[in-house]
Amino acid sequence: MKKRNWTPYLLILPSLIYLALFFAWPMTRGLVLAIWDEEASLSLHEQAQQNSPQTGRLPQGTQIGILDQQGNFIQPEELEEGNLLTEVWFLVSGEDIDGQAVTGWASESRIRVREEAADGTPVVGSVRTKLGSDADPLTDIYAESNETSDVVGKLEALTRVEIQDLVTLEVWYLIRGEEEGQTIEGWAQSRYIQVFSDETTGRIDRGNTGELTTKYIEKMVNDRFFAPALRTTLLLMVIIIPVQFVLAIIMALVIQARLKGNSIFLYIFAIPLGVADLAVGIVWYSIFTHFGFLNSILQGLGLIDAPLTYLSADTRYWIIVAVCLAEIWRATSIVMVIVVSGLQAISQEVLEAAEVFGATLWQRIRHVILPLLRPSLQVALILRTILALQVFAVVIALGGGTVVTVLANETYRQYGDFRNPNVAAAYAGLILLLSMVSAVIYLRTIRTQEEAAE
Amino acid sequence: MKHPDDRRSATVQASAEVQDIRRRMLRRQRVNRALTYAVGTLIALWILVPIFFIGSMAFTTREAVRAYPKGVLPFIPFSTETMRFFLSSEGIMPGIINSVIVAIITLVLSTLIAAPAGYAISRYIFRGRDAFRLSILAVRAFPIVVLSIPLAVVFLRLDIFDSVYSLALMHTALTMPTTILVIGSVFASIPYELEEAAMVFGCTPVQAFRQVVLPLVLPGIAAAAIFTFVMSWNEVFAASILTVQNRTLPAQVLNTLDQSSEPYQFAGGFFMLIPALIFIFLIRRYLFNMWGQITK
Repeated sequence: MKKRNWTPYLLILPSLIYLALFFAWPMTRGLVLAIWDEEASLSLHEQAQQNSPQTGRLPQGTQIGILDQQGNFIQPEELEEGNLLTEVWFLVSGEDIDGQAVTGWASESRIRVREEAADGTPVVGSVRTKLGSDADPLTDIYAESNETSDVVGKLEALTRVEIQDLVTLEVWYLIRGEEEGQTIEGWAQSRYIQVFSDETTGRIDRGNTGELTTKYIEKMVNDRFFAPALRTTLLLMVIIIPVQFVLAIIMALVIQARLKGNSIFLYIFAIPLGVADLAVGIVWYSIFTHFGFLNSILQGLGLIDAPLTYLSADTRYWIIVAVCLAEIWRATSIVMVIVVSGLQAISQEVLEAAEVFGATLWQRIRHVILPLLRPSLQVALILRTILALQVFAVVIALGGGTVVTVLANETYRQYGDFRNPNVAAAYAGLILLLSMVSAVIYLRTIRTQEEAAE
Repeated sequence: MKHPDDRRSATVQASAEVQDIRRRMLRRQRVNRALTYAVGTLIALWILVPIFFIGSMAFTTREAVRAYPKGVLPFIPFSTETMRFFLSSEGIMPGIINSVIVAIITLVLSTLIAAPAGYAISRYIFRGRDAFRLSILAVRAFPIVVLSIPLAVVFLRLDIFDSVYSLALMHTALTMPTTILVIGSVFASIPYELEEAAMVFGCTPVQAFRQVVLPLVLPGIAAAAIFTFVMSWNEVFAASILTVQNRTLPAQVLNTLDQSSEPYQFAGGFFMLIPALIFIFLIRRYLFNMWGQITK
């Protein structure tokens, strides 16, 4: 019998747990933000209790009439939620109008606290006088801490009572609203409802029931920066990637020639690999800015009389040129390293054979090196496309982020400037989708070519 | 490229015609080599000249930065004024400290978790190994942008938003796949026979690992760790999303970019670039371990 070796599984377990916790889980949670409206509608209840049957739902923003209100228990940790309207009820005991001792619940609005314990808990109070001539001058004491329970006694105004206990309640409203011609009535917690100043009307501030929605995606697509961002991102990809591949193959051939001083070349070619994209943006900003190096050189050569402006709203194409140069400068190294590793895997005999048979450099590249490099180029292409979709700091450093904008920049602005994580998640989802689609397309086309060749 | 020596013996008796061909080939080789040098030098200049420009701006007077036409270092006064101005600007020192803390936590966490996994994928053949490698690659290729937003929202709910620790947790998730692959390839470059031999001579597996394998892989693991540090140091998108008060250096520079002066920007740009210059030099031998792996 073959015994299964568990060691490798134990060794990879920590990384799997970590990636599940900090990668897979937040990723799924987050992408859901783009298509799930957590506060889409508010469920109404038959009674002012969480567990009572639902009468229906009203979407967020519905105008409602407020018919009644009532307090109900609330968990202490829920008190921190915003927009809560609460009321406090006291368990009081005192003498009722017949001189009998009664104990029951009364709303805080009916009791004036007279004495407090050292920690601030009320101990003794008195019944408030009711205002208004037609009101019942007596105050009702209830069996439970709400006005629908049985009345256990009536207290006269100014009766001294002992406060034995207190409870904080959240106010529930009985509301009525219309949804698609139907009138729906039911109870809902005050935290979801915005009451207007007349206290009889209001609107649903936020819902408590989520539903699928396309509104964030629509908001993204209708944003005026969406189309320019998408277009610029794709344009940058189309310009940058081919140039990078040509340059990277040339760099790799230089490295592969194993000249004296090879390691110096390798070091210099690899430097951009470790440079922050923001730093690269600033470096190229120093070249293209109004009083920058490009103008200084041109003026030094006598080609211009006064500095030209490159990075302004009127010269968008120059910003794009600068971004392309900066990205080519920065991200060609990674392609070069992948190509060099690919070249090292090609046997020297094959290359020498081609040379002995008189193939020119171009013929060798075209018919020997490129076909053998295909797997490496495929990986590099996928990697570069995905990274090109994320270009961000370079664009901000060179263009400020409004004149020329890209998808990653819009994601950042939706999250940071407009405080709209849902739309930001929609942008993030779009970037992910484009990355996956391009990766699949590359894998497909290259595979079908191979199959056709067989 | 072949060496002329290889063919010397074969051409000792060669006819004049063959010698003529040989001379032509040698000449062609010399021309090729000169061309390769020229191309290599050109590309090297393309990479170095912008760095030199920004370096000149970082170590001169503020006056020289504002001057037009701009000069480069030997021709403009050398001074630490702009760099000192940048380093003493508000939020920069805390930013550097935050960046270093985040990068070090990321480096330690990432290496500690990745090393066993790297060892496993290089030394064991087990069911699910390919699936594991593939999912690691998928994570590596995942857009950072996509991960930042969800994590920010989750961290906000868990109340660990805006702290260097939550940022380090995220950077670890981003760098770990690369670290696993690099460490895996470093282990793979040490033949398993060495470990076996040590065990034949009476080492326990743990001893064999500690006394034979570990000394050999430590430089490679150090290179992976350094690269992890650089990735974390450079990362700006997630850092700007996840931190507000406790910004890292790139996040701080990015957020003050549009309201800062050129001396500040240029000195900041060069300062962020320095680790790359040093660390790429230290790990240059391992670059192909690092990226070659993903093509295999």
